[in-house]
Amino acid sequence: MSLDSDLWWAVARSEEVTSQKPLSVDIGDQPVVLWRDNQGIARALEDRCPHRRAPLSLGCIRDNGQIQCGYHGWSYDGETGRLKEIPNMKDQQKFPPIYKANAFAVTEQAGFVRVCLNPKAQAPLSADPKYTYVGTVNVSCSHQEYLNALYDDPSLILSVRGVRFSPYLMSELHEENGLLVMERNCQWHPLHWPSHFVAEFPLTLLTRTHPLTGETQLTLRDDQFNDLLHAVLSPVPSARGVTAVRWRAELGVRHPGVRGAVLRGINPLSVHASIDGSKLRATKPTVSLHGEDLRKAMLETKPATHDQTVAA
Amino acid sequence: MLETADRPVSHDDNSAAPSGGSPIALNAINRWVPHNLVMRDSWFPVAHDYSVTGKPVRRAVYSHPIFLWRDNGVAVASEFHPNERITRDKSEFTNAQGRYPVMEHYGVVWVWFGNPLAADPRHLPSLPFLPPKGGLPRHMTATVRFESSAPISLENLIDLTHADFLHADVVGDERSDSETVETFYDSETVTMVRTCVNKSVAPVMKFFSGIKQPTQNVRQVIRIYLRSHCAIAYGRFSPGDDVPLFHPCTPETRDRTRMEMVMNTSNAGLMFRHVMPKAGYKVSRQDSYMTSPQSPRYMRHTDRKDLHSKFDQAGQRYRMAMMELADRQAKGDFDYRDNVSADCSDIIGLRKELFQF
Repeated sequence: MSLDSDLWWAVARSEEVTSQKPLSVDIGDQPVVLWRDNQGIARALEDRCPHRRAPLSLGCIRDNGQIQCGYHGWSYDGETGRLKEIPNMKDQQKFPPIYKANAFAVTEQAGFVRVCLNPKAQAPLSADPKYTYVGTVNVSCSHQEYLNALYDDPSLILSVRGVRFSPYLMSELHEENGLLVMERNCQWHPLHWPSHFVAEFPLTLLTRTHPLTGETQLTLRDDQFNDLLHAVLSPVPSARGVTAVRWRAELGVRHPGVRGAVLRGINPLSVHASIDGSKLRATKPTVSLHGEDLRKAMLETKPATHDQTVAA
Repeated sequence: MLETADRPVSHDDNSAAPSGGSPIALNAINRWVPHNLVMRDSWFPVAHDYSVTGKPVRRAVYSHPIFLWRDNGVAVASEFHPNERITRDKSEFTNAQGRYPVMEHYGVVWVWFGNPLAADPRHLPSLPFLPPKGGLPRHMTATVRFESSAPISLENLIDLTHADFLHADVVGDERSDSETVETFYDSETVTMVRTCVNKSVAPVMKFFSGIKQPTQNVRQVIRIYLRSHCAIAYGRFSPGDDVPLFHPCTPETRDRTRMEMVMNTSNAGLMFRHVMPKAGYKVSRQDSYMTSPQSPRYMRHTDRKDLHSKFDQAGQRYRMAMMELADRQAKGDFDYRDNVSADCSDIIGLRKELFQF
């Protein structure tokens, strides 16, 4: 997983980033602190005070929108990362340009705060759909393994209320408009025939995944092509091999009957905070086996950009 | 032209079979990556005729979407759902309206996957034990799925020695006085004939067909139509019944297989006629138990060669024939060199008097 390109990672949900308390996140091994300045703009700096390397996320946000280290009170501007104040040096408040924390590019789209490690990166354009259901989980599983689990058996990482994922694909993983796309047959839960003897499946789960970030749009639709549920799942590689997953979901067309009502119950989508190791171990790497080859082939022919963001 | 497979199967050091074959053939067998084989310009069976009604149902061949419905009673196969907001281009496999060539025969809906202009009923596989206009009772049909690639499922089928172990509780164990396997092939088909003398009686026949004897003579034929991934599995049991099965393995994706099976047990006794088609549910799960973990292990080429025995001759020929056909198609040659729709009754040894339509 390359982290040094111009990729935009959805590291937080918009509501998680406030002007009350800094938020600590990671992009791979890079700790990042997020907050909102006094204009409500999300800011991102390395989560490391250049003075004595204390995490800035342990500090506070001042009324002027700057972040202040909790150790010696050094304050930094969110846009540039420049040092603005040292409390014990009130007489000297002009500092050389090298007195700064690394600042990262930030943008907000579709309810996510996205950060790019390249501060000069151009933010992609995106639609701004509304999502009612949201969540954040940190899964003790590498980013690639997490995506492999999604490809091979989504039930390892998420549940859709009243829906069972079958092992049968309507469309195997393939490239479509720069994204990795597949469609899996699903059934209504709990009453259903064994999936291996079923002639028609009433539902499919369409997934569209960015080949680098793994950000995935999920669409559950019925056999009449009605979209019943939309969700965006954003796995971000974090420290210690953990994958931080933020997600947002919205219900679509109402499916008639009890099943449709069950789907529209409280929180139709659940993203699991842990993966069952015994189930993961026994899951055959079928889709994922070629997923990596396909991803590499795609990137060789046409390097991915975030213009292909799945939330667009 | 149908040839007898007299090619010694291997001179692989790892093989238990006698040597003497062509090194090209040997290498080809060891380059077997069924996941990468994609056949086109062929009729694929995608649905039982009764499944297609006014409401669209969805199918796929190699992940290409196929929506089936009836328009004034006539089956339609489209690339797009009528309610779909079309955001993708039409494929090369459909006409200007996004429609696949489609036909109904043997009670099955067939879709032509390939150049639409090349679609021809003459390329429909011969299934002489099924009524051409369909009409068999539904209890003789079923839909079964395999979590494996279609060639893996078919290689499993043509290797009948596995049945003595995996399906012993249905078709009987491996004990017999003698067993021979012959293989015949042409550019479009591979046919295997297994003859067993005094084989243990299949339990399903013992219980539901009233066979009292401890042994029976068995002649089993597996005939595979390579392009369409369809097979005939025809067993003649003496004493016992004739059990002809249409066993298609439609590749919905390269790693998932759909089987719209039809077993014509019309000539069997009442109990057996109803029970035997249901055995497919049990047998298919037993097969899937082995083939689903096997399938990912054939997704990539490996230098490690498979071991073979003399009973694998048909499977090896199947690998060879599929690879030759795939190679030909990769070079742009989609012509049929042999006629798959010619009546194959004699080849499979069908007792025609039992199957008059």
